[in-house]
Amino acid sequence: MKKLIPVFIILLFISCKQDILDISPQDRISENAVWSDVNLIKAYQNSLYNAIPHGFYIHMYSKYTDEAYDSAPCCGADIFARNTFTPENITAVSGGDFWGGYMYYWDHGYQYIRRINVFLEKMQGDDIQFEEKKRLVAETKFLRAFIYFKLIKRYGGVPIVKKAYDLGDDVQFKRSTFDECVAFINQDLSDAISDLPARYPSTDPNYGRATADAAKALRSRMFLYAASPLFNPSNDKQKWQKAADAAAALIGDEGGVDYYELYPDYQKLFELKTGEAQKEVIFARGFTSSNGHEAPMNNLNRRYGAYGGWWGSNGPTQNLVDDYDMTNGEQPFLKDGSINPNSGYDPQNPYKNRDPRLNATIIHDGSTFRGDTLEMWVAEDGSQWGKDSYKESGDNPRTNYVLKKFMPTEGPLSWDHTFTIEWPHFRLAEIYLNYAEAEFELGNEAKAREYVNKVRSRPSVNLPDIPSTVTGEDLRRRIYNERRVELAFEGQRFFDIRRWKIGGVVENRPIRGMDIAKNMSTKNKTYTPVKLLQKKPWEEKMNLLPIAQDEIRRNPELTQTPGW
Amino acid sequence: MEIRKRMDVFLVPLVVLLLGLVSANTGYAQQVSGVVTDATSGSTLPGVNVIVKGTTQGTSTGTDGSYSLNVPTLQDTLVFSFIGYQKQEVPIQGRTKINIVLKSQAISGDELVVVGYGKQKKKTLTGSISKVSGSDVTVSPSPNVTSSLEGKLPGLVVNQRTGEPGREDLNILIRGNGTFNNNDPLVVIDGVPRDNLSQLNPNDIEDITVLKDASAAIYGARAANGVILVTTKQGSKSKPKFNFSYSYAFQQPTKIPNMLDAATFATAFNEAEWYRQGRPDKSNFTPFYTDKAIQKYRNGSDPVLYPNTDWVSEVLKPYSANQKVNLQASGGSANIQYLLSFGMTDQDGNFKNNPTHYKKYNARAKVNVDLTEDLTVGANISANLNQRKYPSVGTQVNFINILQANPTLVAKYPNGLIAPGRLQENPLLLDRRGYDRFKDYPINSTFTASYNVPFVKGLALDASYNYDLRNQFEKLFSKPYSFHKYNVQTGKYDKVWATNASTVQLTDTYSRWTKSLFNFRVSYETTIGKYHNISAMVGTEQQRQNYSYAMAYRKNFVSSAIPQINVGSTNPKDMNNGGSASESAYNNYFGRLNYDYNSKYLLEFVFRYDGSQIFPKGNRYGFFPGVSAGWRLSEEDFIRDNLPFVSELKLRGSYGELGNDRVGAYQYLQSFSFGDNYVFGAGDVPGITPNTLPNPDITWEVSKKLDLGLEATLWDGLLGADITLWKENRSNILLQPNRSVSHVYGFSGLPDKNIGKVENRGFEIVLTHQNNIGDLSYSIRANTSFARSKIKFMDETPQAEPYQTQTGHPLGSGLYYKSDGIFNTQQELDNYPHGPGAQVGDIKVVDLNNDGVIDGKDRYRTDNSPTPEYTFGLTTNFKYKGFDLTLFFQGQTNAYTYDGTVATLGGSDFANAAVYRAKDRWTVDNKDATMPRADQWTPGATDFFLFDATFVRLKNAELGYSLPHRLLSKVGAGSFKDLRFYVNGSNLLTWAKEIKWRDPEMGGDFTNYPPLRIINVGVNVNF
Repeated sequence: MKKLIPVFIILLFISCKQDILDISPQDRISENAVWSDVNLIKAYQNSLYNAIPHGFYIHMYSKYTDEAYDSAPCCGADIFARNTFTPENITAVSGGDFWGGYMYYWDHGYQYIRRINVFLEKMQGDDIQFEEKKRLVAETKFLRAFIYFKLIKRYGGVPIVKKAYDLGDDVQFKRSTFDECVAFINQDLSDAISDLPARYPSTDPNYGRATADAAKALRSRMFLYAASPLFNPSNDKQKWQKAADAAAALIGDEGGVDYYELYPDYQKLFELKTGEAQKEVIFARGFTSSNGHEAPMNNLNRRYGAYGGWWGSNGPTQNLVDDYDMTNGEQPFLKDGSINPNSGYDPQNPYKNRDPRLNATIIHDGSTFRGDTLEMWVAEDGSQWGKDSYKESGDNPRTNYVLKKFMPTEGPLSWDHTFTIEWPHFRLAEIYLNYAEAEFELGNEAKAREYVNKVRSRPSVNLPDIPSTVTGEDLRRRIYNERRVELAFEGQRFFDIRRWKIGGVVENRPIRGMDIAKNMSTKNKTYTPVKLLQKKPWEEKMNLLPIAQDEIRRNPELTQTPGW
Repeated sequence: MEIRKRMDVFLVPLVVLLLGLVSANTGYAQQVSGVVTDATSGSTLPGVNVIVKGTTQGTSTGTDGSYSLNVPTLQDTLVFSFIGYQKQEVPIQGRTKINIVLKSQAISGDELVVVGYGKQKKKTLTGSISKVSGSDVTVSPSPNVTSSLEGKLPGLVVNQRTGEPGREDLNILIRGNGTFNNNDPLVVIDGVPRDNLSQLNPNDIEDITVLKDASAAIYGARAANGVILVTTKQGSKSKPKFNFSYSYAFQQPTKIPNMLDAATFATAFNEAEWYRQGRPDKSNFTPFYTDKAIQKYRNGSDPVLYPNTDWVSEVLKPYSANQKVNLQASGGSANIQYLLSFGMTDQDGNFKNNPTHYKKYNARAKVNVDLTEDLTVGANISANLNQRKYPSVGTQVNFINILQANPTLVAKYPNGLIAPGRLQENPLLLDRRGYDRFKDYPINSTFTASYNVPFVKGLALDASYNYDLRNQFEKLFSKPYSFHKYNVQTGKYDKVWATNASTVQLTDTYSRWTKSLFNFRVSYETTIGKYHNISAMVGTEQQRQNYSYAMAYRKNFVSSAIPQINVGSTNPKDMNNGGSASESAYNNYFGRLNYDYNSKYLLEFVFRYDGSQIFPKGNRYGFFPGVSAGWRLSEEDFIRDNLPFVSELKLRGSYGELGNDRVGAYQYLQSFSFGDNYVFGAGDVPGITPNTLPNPDITWEVSKKLDLGLEATLWDGLLGADITLWKENRSNILLQPNRSVSHVYGFSGLPDKNIGKVENRGFEIVLTHQNNIGDLSYSIRANTSFARSKIKFMDETPQAEPYQTQTGHPLGSGLYYKSDGIFNTQQELDNYPHGPGAQVGDIKVVDLNNDGVIDGKDRYRTDNSPTPEYTFGLTTNFKYKGFDLTLFFQGQTNAYTYDGTVATLGGSDFANAAVYRAKDRWTVDNKDATMPRADQWTPGATDFFLFDATFVRLKNAELGYSLPHRLLSKVGAGSFKDLRFYVNGSNLLTWAKEIKWRDPEMGGDFTNYPPLRIINVGVNVNF
């Protein structure tokens, strides 16, 4: 029996193994490993590009404006659909996809600013050396500039954070002025431009990286915003001049970069897959089959098994359809809303003789798409309806319009297919319109008209020039309208409404759709625009977004956006 | 792994060695025989163990109660033992015939209770410990053990949130919530921390004890949320016993909300559309559903175009089946005890056309062998084959597709063809869409050795080695599916393929968990003088766990006939794979010291020195002590003399420090994860992203628990009472420092810091009564418990108004707008501040701070959370001749549930709404409404939809009848010792205070799989 004693003693010793607790993690990398491996440093820098949201989240910014009718009753998007956003609920739109497509952006933006600052600090000094270092630092500065621009167009002046703070650092952040932010962004852009290649062709494996041209395009948009009524209340003409100069830097005719050209086919441009040849897009977010998006399935209608923007919530509005010109160059409606007698617009045949961009952007009753003729009508007695009518399914938008821009006209359509149509951040047509707007505000109406007309004379659009008889406020209206139409669904309208301070007009108009009643015996259709949503009355404070109330409480020296 | 290897090397020679010791036995010559009878009834007792004291030589009595036994000499002593009877030692004194009368054992006094690493007598227990026996667990027909614990144990809060087979998400709390973090108690099954309590075979359970106070300190850094100890049955030294039982249950959801019919739905939708369009003149408004259409929905004249679909009855079965079979054999001889158990449960889902199915096989073999007089070795091996099959689509999605599906959509056309339903997600199509199948095979093994050191009386050594292995295969198979759709233009039914899935897709995931635990204990027991009883135990334990998984994915299968990975496309674009692993370990030392003076004054000290790999070096080890004391007043002469009706009276108290380490590992390291990839050119580039910032000082939460208790048994058990008061201070709670850290810093997630403080207090009362009146014997056991937490510190972001702070309120208390009915008239709306979207007919939100604006500042902090503060249970047992009846009521109060989904009505997403919500809604014609208008607007969550979740329910009831032996013999079943038929049920009746329209026990939104009502019939045979 005593033999057992040593046995137990041995057992006891086994159990005294102390290093059992020294286990290193098996599913993550330590920090030291990252900064000592060039491949991991590059991977770190690659991920910084995700700071810049694309526009293919479930909630596109169009449904926050008069471009689309947002019928989704939830998930944050509705606070813009009805303009009921407040400092308390604004964080509902701080995420991707369902959660607002990063409209709030504050948390997302500053998180990437810290990541960028960490990167820039690690790259300072000579400890880390590798071939592409200079270029990657310049790219990163561009990204920081882009983030700040996204912040200031939402909030006005924001705190400028140039270093990576550590946990335990006690800082009270204060807003810099809008102009200080612009200067800071401009400095980052200047630094970036000097170390970046001018551009990569769209077929190059580096296409999608920051370039000098991308930095110039951002500068153009930023200076345009800075000169606009919201941020330039005194209408300082020098600001407009800066905007004009920044745009000119990318326009060959004006002595700038002579590389870009309008892609001839307006519709095809937004159907190009990442990597296809074109020379219009200056900076874009690319996609691959393993890193793709579902925008067509989110936005097409039920016929294609898609969700019409989820619950049909991204259906283009009658408000937008009304703003497309006639092929004769006339606008179908006058300023007061009545039909323009010179236009030839027939309210009972509303899609006839319209700006070709209407058909390229929007699917309507009678449109042909992928070989199908779409039918949005409802029989007068309600007994029958077209397959694409809102009666058929809640995923057919109630407006009876479906988004066509960015939707592939061929190839598979299904939820288990990912799409690789790219998201353009900057393209030449916008630079033309930036230039036209700035020149107009500087009093150079001919120049302004010239560049608007360039956009209108793209081969597939081919609209008559805006005649020289259109001047002053009328011309401004046409420039604004050209931007609305050309850049529809590209995420611009939300900010254009605000910087132009036209929310009091356009956001107070009801959101409308189109009812199409069909007489089953005569086959005649009657078109009746229908009011779908009356938003909460517009207030000037809505031009800028509020900061979440919690955030102000955490940082009392951070002032809330005026009016909120 | 290293430990395990060493153990393997070591175990083999150990076993060989031990076997060698056994063979030392030699033959005997003398024989003794006799009969054993019961002291009260006088009947003979079969199966009584008879052994020669000091040896392993023995036998047990036969069916007639007789035995005969060879003994070494006639000077030896015989030991007679039988479960439920007092042990007797009888010196042979030269006799060869010895008849013995055994007295049954008093139940209360010597009852043993399992405590951490040991057993103690209930009467000298000083900790706050509740116990439930296995037979109480099997009264519930629920296939899940945890759901049978609901309401049974004071201080244990169990809430059944869903009834989905194999996925019953039971929320177990001991004494409510103590921390912001994980509040799960530690579950120890047969000495090993294991998490598969819900998968245990209820019939295998001997008992379950719950350590609620300082007595749990012996589990150290994992004990702060309390400890649940489960002990499985083992064989006794008796003749073989067989038990067979079979039961068949009908199960159905307890309560499904009534949803709107098509006509009401359409009417409410039209109202909402009108509100959304700014209430235009009626002439200017085209309703979405015309009057004519609504008429057709109502009269059912056109079930194809104008259906009135009741999705619940279309999709859910009236009831589903659940069958259980159990087979148990146990017994033993002088030096071996065994238990073999097999159980099978087969549970069907509640949907039509749905692959939900749960099948569970449990097998257990438990053997103890006395190798020598002093050395016992044992093995306890249980295997579980778990097969769970679900639709390839998430359950909540399915319930949304039932409850919120538009009733104007067809579920099934009159000709039997299945329609697309909501978003092509008609739940009737689920069986065409593939499945998500789990094959889960956990094997738990325990090997034990106990050695009573023969030359030191009272000294014993115990060792155990446990190895658990769990393999799980998940096959998620999704395939294209079709449905039919009526074409309004051709009048035909078109077959349409859904676009949700255009190709066959398969994901195979293989996961593996292993756990090895080694445990060694030395214990010593002695009595000094006459009255000083001392026992002590020290031990050490090491645990190591591994988890790994590998995943493979393919799509574009040539055919859906063979759901195997190799049939999928080999195009790299159609393949994917993944995998990862993790590892964790514990190392610790623990001990217990008990002292009592004549079983009158009791003292206990327990400790654990615990090391956990979750924390950085230097903060890994902690010391967790617990001390408790008791005073058995009933042993004092002044009580005995003056209060003779007091059979047992004990005061007890305890204090201890315990830890909670249920937090993410490696929070002390800055680490990066792969992900956040991007695209350049037409190709992917990899990304890495920083994880949460590190906190190098992270350590565990500390819980200080104080308990005071009084236990009394009066009039020999006629009345029993157990009252406990307790208080807990939890500190070092890991929380993100929220207050100070602006998002402008841009931190990638803040690390937890040990800063939170929560105070928790409560009481538990148990009253018991048992009595016999003639042939009727009955017992009543009532328990109630209360637990309330209060946040003392949490580095809270400063709130706008003082009444919004969370500090000072219970954990889980939410912020809500205060509601004050409805704005019934335009005048009321105009005269009162309201939010930006408010219209007449909306909920009137109170302007709490009287600033004339309705905004976030008007929210207030409730004192309520979904966790009940009061829970109660009432068990009654009746026995009359062959009949037995058990009724068990259970309930809760001070629990509040917010349901944001029920608030929606008439939304532009066409979601259906509950009748409860729509019935008395505000309309222009119903201005005195009690419910808000369709498409109601509120600035956020209001207390209008915060419901008092108080309820009482008849949780279990069982009626049984045991056939008398006479009858059994008559029908030729005389070999059956016991034959009992029974019918029982679960969740039979419910009285809810406010939540009458759905099951009050579910949490959150109503669109989930509700708990089940089960009615069960069964038979149980012992032979």
